Amino acid sequence: MGKKITGVLLVVLMAALLLLLFGCGGKQTQPSPGSQTGQGEKKSSNLEESIKAEGKVAQLKSDDGQPLLPPLEKKEVPPRPADPSKLPEDDAMHWYDMEYSGWGVTKVNIPQSPKDGAKGKKVILIVHGDHPWTTAYIRGAKKVADAYGMELKVMSPNWNPDVQAQMVDQAIGARPDMILMIPVDAKMSVQLFRKINQAGIPVIASNTHPESEAMKYVIAWTGPDDWGQFRMLARKFAELMHYEGGYAIIQHNPGGSPFFARTYAPITELKKIAPKMELLDKQAPGFEAEKTMQVVSDWLTRFGNKLKGIILSDDSAQAIGAVEAIKNANRQDIILVAAGNSKVGMDLVKEGKLQAITYQTAEGDGAAAVKAAADWFNGHDVEPVRYLPMHIITKDDVDKFMPAQW
Amino acid sequence: MLVKSERIELNKRRTKTAGWIEKFGVYIMILVLLILGTLISNKFLTIDNLANVVHAVALLGIVAVGVTFVTYSGHFADMSVPGIIALSGMVAVDMLRYGLVVSLASGLVTGLMVGLINAFVVGKLRANPIIWTLAVAFVINGVVRWLYRGEQIYPDLKAGEKLATAFVNLARINIGGAVPITVVVFLVMVIIGQLLLTKTKFGVQLKLIGSSYEVARMTGVNVTGMVGLAFILSALAASIGGILLTSLVKIGAYYNGVGYDFRAVTAIVLGGVSLAGGKGNMIGVLGGVVVIGLLNNILTLLGVGTFSQTIVQGLVFILVVWFNTYSLRKLGKADG
Amino acid sequence: MDKMNKKFFQVINNYRIYFLCSLVFIAMAIFVPNFLTVYNLTNILKGMSLNVMVAIGFTIVMICKELDLSIGTTLTLGAMFVIGFQPALGWGWSLLIAVLAGALVGLANGFLVARAKIDSFIVTLGTMTTVQGIIFLYGKGYALNATDFTVADWLETPIIPFLPPRVLITIVLVLLFQVLLARTRYGRGFYMVGANRETAWLAGLNTEGYVIVAFILSGITAALGGALFAMSLSSATPTIGTSSLMIVVAATIIGGTSMAGGKGSILGSAVAVLTLTILYNGLTNLGAGYEIQILASGLVLAMVVLYEAYALYRADKVKGQRPELLKEVRMLQEGSKGS
Repeated sequence: MGKKITGVLLVVLMAALLLLLFGCGGKQTQPSPGSQTGQGEKKSSNLEESIKAEGKVAQLKSDDGQPLLPPLEKKEVPPRPADPSKLPEDDAMHWYDMEYSGWGVTKVNIPQSPKDGAKGKKVILIVHGDHPWTTAYIRGAKKVADAYGMELKVMSPNWNPDVQAQMVDQAIGARPDMILMIPVDAKMSVQLFRKINQAGIPVIASNTHPESEAMKYVIAWTGPDDWGQFRMLARKFAELMHYEGGYAIIQHNPGGSPFFARTYAPITELKKIAPKMELLDKQAPGFEAEKTMQVVSDWLTRFGNKLKGIILSDDSAQAIGAVEAIKNANRQDIILVAAGNSKVGMDLVKEGKLQAITYQTAEGDGAAAVKAAADWFNGHDVEPVRYLPMHIITKDDVDKFMPAQW
Repeated sequence: MLVKSERIELNKRRTKTAGWIEKFGVYIMILVLLILGTLISNKFLTIDNLANVVHAVALLGIVAVGVTFVTYSGHFADMSVPGIIALSGMVAVDMLRYGLVVSLASGLVTGLMVGLINAFVVGKLRANPIIWTLAVAFVINGVVRWLYRGEQIYPDLKAGEKLATAFVNLARINIGGAVPITVVVFLVMVIIGQLLLTKTKFGVQLKLIGSSYEVARMTGVNVTGMVGLAFILSALAASIGGILLTSLVKIGAYYNGVGYDFRAVTAIVLGGVSLAGGKGNMIGVLGGVVVIGLLNNILTLLGVGTFSQTIVQGLVFILVVWFNTYSLRKLGKADG
Repeated sequence: MDKMNKKFFQVINNYRIYFLCSLVFIAMAIFVPNFLTVYNLTNILKGMSLNVMVAIGFTIVMICKELDLSIGTTLTLGAMFVIGFQPALGWGWSLLIAVLAGALVGLANGFLVARAKIDSFIVTLGTMTTVQGIIFLYGKGYALNATDFTVADWLETPIIPFLPPRVLITIVLVLLFQVLLARTRYGRGFYMVGANRETAWLAGLNTEGYVIVAFILSGITAALGGALFAMSLSSATPTIGTSSLMIVVAATIIGGTSMAGGKGSILGSAVAVLTLTILYNGLTNLGAGYEIQILASGLVLAMVVLYEAYALYRADKVKGQRPELLKEVRMLQEGSKGS
């Protein structure tokens, strides 16, 4: 008898759990602004219609109210030193191949554009993994694809290079008109882009900047200029620090290119513009608030008043951890700057707890990749490297970027 | 040559030492670390620094206290802990619009329900605990991502500024203006846990189950109920930790709590609780959690880089456990 | 009649992973467009290679009633070393170094488990962390790559239909170890050690030796799998193997290996990895995201665990009972109720 009751109780509980969950989160649908292009007007050619759509695309906005496709930037590219790896790590030129990857590469076996318009083209987008950022990225990509009437299919390997390799093979097997890919890793992507290229499918790389070697095989790369942005952030940081005092860096997770860009762009930049500033330490506690809190607390103990500012690679969990640590130590004088503009980060900027963050439009990132693809189908010239615009958000203009994209 | 009585005396003494090492061996480690830290930096042995160390590991400690029951009962570990942390936090944020009490209650109930399922499957059906809880972790992860479409949820967008502030401040309360609430919760849980393990029928029976499941069953212990209770307590602790973590980071997200499973086991084992079950206590787990904090603190004060820190942590872990096992074996109390 | 039924179920249970695999395969073949193409099937085989290779050694360790949590980072170590040493030493020697490094990790694990008598869960948790640190330190946080693609292309191009060398090597190793474990006297020793270490020791087996060998094999196959995967991409990242651990653990259990030791087969684990790969491939083709994939694999794993536990639970309940007598009693009861 007792057993039966327990059994029934358990089933009821499980059902309740499921109901609860469905009630809570199941009903968030996002209206997609793109309208389906009607089938009726077949008279004008596909290309004309696609080019007509460009006007509509230019009007699109991202969820934070900013234009979805702001004008893209170009970058001054200095000549390459003879052997960058011989230079010291705090010399900007040591990182030349990472920072200026993709410039001056001889392209191999790039297919010719059919020049018959973007409308109706089948495009597969392989992202690097699931994350709220990625959700916003895909949203941006879909907005543009819908506006052009392109068919966009998304694959996500959950940050696993093994699975991404499988997905590339799968995508090739589906014979789409184009493949867009955010590589899980800059170096691992070389063979993947090479495979797509050899299969004769045009490919555009996005977001994570692949190795120069990989840039041979892609039509173009679009994405944020992580190095440039962190140099810009470093300049703002130096200004806030009055060009003096000790600072420390909370790094990105080791392995990817942001680990280097977000560590060495500020180090090399600050060495140049603010020689009086001193790097005290750098640590990579991951994107975890508690661990970051511990590292920053330890720094405050170790360096005391010598520590005047901290550069963070992430403005959510890492920023929360750092803010808590300096609050506990009553050291609110410490300058904090960070990467990205997540909601948490922007709230912190608004509250005055974070002094500056970089603007990194996730939707615009996705949109730029699809836009480059559409431009190629429409027969426009596509530059090999397209950077998203850079901006530093401070308390003065943070409201312009609300609500956050993720 | 020993006379018989002398031998018995020696054996007694050995057993006593063994018992001591088993119970409080980790505090030798803490002592060593404290001395080391003092030699390294004159700022090490300050109240501020040590308070920071405990504050940083308090959340881990809360989760570890719960998992200790599972380990103590000889069921290795609860791998569904990260899932419970994420899920209970997200549910709490989602229900916040109905008030803070509802939010906290529903977060805890969600965790409890996962615990009940674990309790039934492991306690009643005797499924392998590691694999079952691993499967539960997979399922929770998938469900949470699917329900929320891979988004993270924010208290202020879900429930408005006022309730959100209340929720977010939860993990930021300082008792008496100085002691963070996470530390208080952690210490209270350690004390309750220790009382549960040593002073109640549940604790005694759990020890028996951990030492030998079959013997416990034969002697009429309600093994199903007791093992089930251990898993329920583990889930409860994880959901408390999950709510506090979510309150701290201001985000409900499916990736909250990643890594807490292995980190909790590390703390527990360092604290002298044997994976074979039936050995150890909560005071040891407290020590194990503090050792993790102290080690990180000292390595950062020394200026050791992240990469080398990882190696040192792994090696220290193995060495401590090795020493523990070795000394226990030498002293005639073989482990497992 | 009853007996036949029982036997039938037993057969199904023993070969459940093969049924499961066929079921998933047929379902995907029906519902997923372009699934049954030579190209896609080759992809699936390529996709499973890495985890199948890792699962070989992991299964042997599990048969010995131990656990190896360090396979994920050992895999990465193999991948990093094979790429890292290639420019100086060439592919052959760097592969050898990668595999030796894996063997060394396995030896350390095996020694600490068998000789120092520490629980394998703890030991390998420790080595997992340590090896990850070594990898970061070795690569300074960098991913590594090689500029030579000849080996990569060779490994990935089918030499006979469906079978590129990387897949072929994997399958050959699976069959080799399957035969070794199931058909040789030495191999069957692993099962005895896992089922009951004391009995095995009394029977004259070198139990410590077996455990150490199991861990070394696990280290070798993990490193070899990682190395071959890295070679097929001509590059390696310091976090390449992070997600393999959980997949391999799940697959090994689904494939019929028991954590209680003494039971399981390498072929079963390999087919289980294949099943999961087919599942992922099909779901991706259908446009389902990662959340559905992890949910599906979680449910499959949960079902298998539940089924196994329930079967044991039932068996335990009727242990010592005489079902035919019970039936009579029940019939009598029903008879009396009816009247």
